Amino acid sequence: MAAGTRTGRSRFTLIFLLLSSATLVTLDARDFEPLQRTEETLTDLISPLRSGADRLFGPVGDAWAGVTGYDELEAENRELREELQQLEAQQILDSDAAIRLELLLDELGLPYVQDIPNVVAEVVTANVGNFDRYSVQINRGAEDGIRNGMPVVTRGGLIGRIDGDPGRGHSRVTLLTDPSFEVGVLAVGTDDVALASGSGHGGPLMVRKGLEIDTEVAVGQEVVTSGVDRSRYPPGIPIGTVTEIDYDEARLLQLLTVEPSANTDNLSFVTVLLYDPLAEES
Amino acid sequence: MTMASAYSRSALFLLTALVLHMALFSDLRILGVAPEIPLAIAVTAGLVGGPERGAVAGFAIGLGIDLYLPTLFGLSALIYTVWGYSVGLLEERIFRSAWWINVLVTAAATAGGLLVYAVLGELLGEANLYTDRLYVVMGVAAVYNLVLSLPLLGLWRWSWPSLLGEEH
Repeated sequence: MAAGTRTGRSRFTLIFLLLSSATLVTLDARDFEPLQRTEETLTDLISPLRSGADRLFGPVGDAWAGVTGYDELEAENRELREELQQLEAQQILDSDAAIRLELLLDELGLPYVQDIPNVVAEVVTANVGNFDRYSVQINRGAEDGIRNGMPVVTRGGLIGRIDGDPGRGHSRVTLLTDPSFEVGVLAVGTDDVALASGSGHGGPLMVRKGLEIDTEVAVGQEVVTSGVDRSRYPPGIPIGTVTEIDYDEARLLQLLTVEPSANTDNLSFVTVLLYDPLAEES
Repeated sequence: MTMASAYSRSALFLLTALVLHMALFSDLRILGVAPEIPLAIAVTAGLVGGPERGAVAGFAIGLGIDLYLPTLFGLSALIYTVWGYSVGLLEERIFRSAWWINVLVTAAATAGGLLVYAVLGELLGEANLYTDRLYVVMGVAAVYNLVLSLPLLGLWRWSWPSLLGEEH
């Protein structure tokens, strides 16, 4: 009898919890604001505990990354040494290239990123799960002026955008490696606006739309955000360098592979550009 | 031990597990895969406490981790609830558990839970869940949770000692 009562109660509990979960999923899918506010409040409540734990266990995670990624680090070191040698050999050419890029950006009338109001934020959580490899959480949010869709950069260039409405003191950044990430770009020196998209963790950006076959693009050419009308991104943010060019003869398009200039692994600090294309327009 | 203190211990355990998962375990990756502590919590709760406690623990830890995942809020809670309940039910009716069975069940349930999460997530419109990498994630996370299941089973027994005595 007691066992029967217990089974009945546990079935009731299961149904209640399932209905609650399904309701939450539905409300979240419909961007139900009170739920989002509750989520923010709960996150803020747990946040001090988490920050403390992060500080406490951060060195353990770093040590683990050092041990498990030793081969990778060694290979990376080797590559960097080779790269350094090449860079030293071409120092003069490189400085010329930098001046050329600056001149080209000037010619295109592209404003410098430094002129746009920005907020520096710390990456507080990289991936907590095994399915969220394309986003990180930062410790700045709505109270710092951050809004959905704002571009996020590092010294190397664009790394992503703010995803969804930020919380009061935190936001989520979708990285440009996300296959669903798209950004309008142009190769410096051209005026054909094309669409680049992510290709997964550690992969390059792929330009598959918009670049006509007769546009002159070369391997090694820099690619920046186009900043065309109402683009989420201001013009001139470095995206990367063209590493491969293919041709789609049927659609008369060039297909570019672009190596991102900014590293999205092991991010510590990022800069959110408080850029609102509509405000800029007005 | 009173019911209230059992609930307090459970809540403390869940909160600590959640914080530790985010601050520590999510960084301890092998082949880019972290242990699935929240899923292991739900499964081991079912194994130790039966279907009802498995469902409640799964729901609570699922909601906690959903706060930090970009997927739909409630998705983890939904799956972990079902998983905690189902494993608890199987344990009661079939396994009657030797420790090594519990450990293997935790590993298998981890792999199965991740597969269901990816499939259900994709059906609900989430991108990048069901990918070629999913099977690597399932394998590594299952092994990880197999190792972590023993301490987790012990911690659940610490949380519910007298309540378990009353029922079992």
